[in-house]
Amino acid sequence: MSKKVLMVGNVAIAEGAVLAGCQAYFGYPITPQNEILEHLSKRLPELGRVFLQTESELAAISMVIGAGATGVRAMTSTSSPGFSLQQEGISYMAGAQIPGVIVNVMRGGPGLGNIGGAQGDYFQAVKGGGHGDYRIINLAPASVQEMMDLTMLAFELADKYRNPTFILVDGFLGQAMEPVIIRDAVTKFPAKPWAITGAKGRPKNLLDSFEMNPVNYPSRVKKLLDKYEIIRRNEVRFEGLLLEDAEIVVVAYGSASRSAMSAVKLARTDGIKAGLLRPITLFPFPEKALRELSLRIQAFLVAELSGGQMIEDVRLAVGLDCEVDLVNRYAGVPLPAEEILESLRGIALKQRKN
Amino acid sequence: MLAEIVISGSGGQGVLVIGRLIAEAGFLEGQEVVWSPSYSAEKRGGTVSCMVTISTEKVGSLMITRPTIGIAMNHAAAIKLEPALKKDGWLLVNQAENGYQPARKDIHFLTVSANQLALELGSESTANIVALGALLSIHPVVSLDGVIKAMAQLFGSKILEMNKQALIKGSKSVKTKDEKI
Repeated sequence: MSKKVLMVGNVAIAEGAVLAGCQAYFGYPITPQNEILEHLSKRLPELGRVFLQTESELAAISMVIGAGATGVRAMTSTSSPGFSLQQEGISYMAGAQIPGVIVNVMRGGPGLGNIGGAQGDYFQAVKGGGHGDYRIINLAPASVQEMMDLTMLAFELADKYRNPTFILVDGFLGQAMEPVIIRDAVTKFPAKPWAITGAKGRPKNLLDSFEMNPVNYPSRVKKLLDKYEIIRRNEVRFEGLLLEDAEIVVVAYGSASRSAMSAVKLARTDGIKAGLLRPITLFPFPEKALRELSLRIQAFLVAELSGGQMIEDVRLAVGLDCEVDLVNRYAGVPLPAEEILESLRGIALKQRKN
Repeated sequence: MLAEIVISGSGGQGVLVIGRLIAEAGFLEGQEVVWSPSYSAEKRGGTVSCMVTISTEKVGSLMITRPTIGIAMNHAAAIKLEPALKKDGWLLVNQAENGYQPARKDIHFLTVSANQLALELGSESTANIVALGALLSIHPVVSLDGVIKAMAQLFGSKILEMNKQALIKGSKSVKTKDEKI
């Protein structure tokens, strides 16, 4: 019997990791994600698993590399400035094809930033904050339930593609509390014949992120690039709300999509035919769904908690013939539904005049 | 939507706790609920507030900009909450300092001397629960029974009884059903 309880978003991520069979967690405290560490510091030792509060975020990601290389499910979590510190290690994981889950509960930025929620790390997370040719699967939960579910999915996808996977979520969701159905614990795990486990009775495994040989190295990177194409084809996830007859489509993820959901419903009572497309994966991005919508819809409104980052991907997907507007907040300030509604009214008015 | 509640006061007054109790009670009664704290770097005694949405359908925005109910545990909180309230909304002010008078005529206004009533039960620390009882007697967004069940889950046995009494005392403290002014 699945149990339903009220849970804080960050705790749902932590419990999702436990249910997904996370054997080792390494992390360093930073607001607004501290509840993840706090919860796991109790839960993982209870289960005989590893919880380690490291001396820095750098140490945490390095330990995730080490644990992931031995084949166990490993995770770290942090918030924006700590996430910056981890980029080199993440690039290494991508190059060496070591799976692992990295959670970024985003706060205001740039620089030290504030502890409010934000989505200003979109470019860094989705486009690759580290060096080299790599991509990361990015999952963007918009409810506390999804914080549990997508954390579980993140472990699955990380193993499936031997790739680091991100949970990219803003601090407002991290701190919010909602009902959650506790999922069943994962009991079946994929075999990892590539893992470093002692090489008893088998040839040795080697995990590294590059090759000296100038002929072999490009073909090795090509394998990564081919893998990202498969991810693009197979792993796009998004949710639509009232899209069927929509004339204006809001595109939003995370807590901004929650405000957008309210705004779209309010707009409908105003007689404005608004809809919402919520990307659940940011890489791969639901560009095909947006392109298809752009064939019949001329106006998109991107609602995000940044200076305007995801809007660039929306513009690429829908092309230059569509109007793509931005309604946003940044630096740790939430985006009220009323603000999105105002933008929708403005667009609708302009459409009526034309 | 049943209620969009903002609770505000200073650190240590139990603002987050009563928000949590309303959310838990709503959840136990089968409603959709969201509890969301406004969090920032604050010292002890700094401003604290939280938002609770109780709804029959899936909740959108985590943020409440125009609450239908405001609970102000002190006057500074009341001054901030009053202008944000929706028309015909409810403002409950803890009159620990006596004499808060709302400027708006289009809201319902209630007061409770929560600190004094709590003190009569033995400890000012239950003033938040007294205020919650007062609100629910006028505007039962969740039931007193639901809150008592939620308290049994969240509170240790040592403080449970005192808090139950505080809730009941608060619920009997408001005399008029509608003090619209």
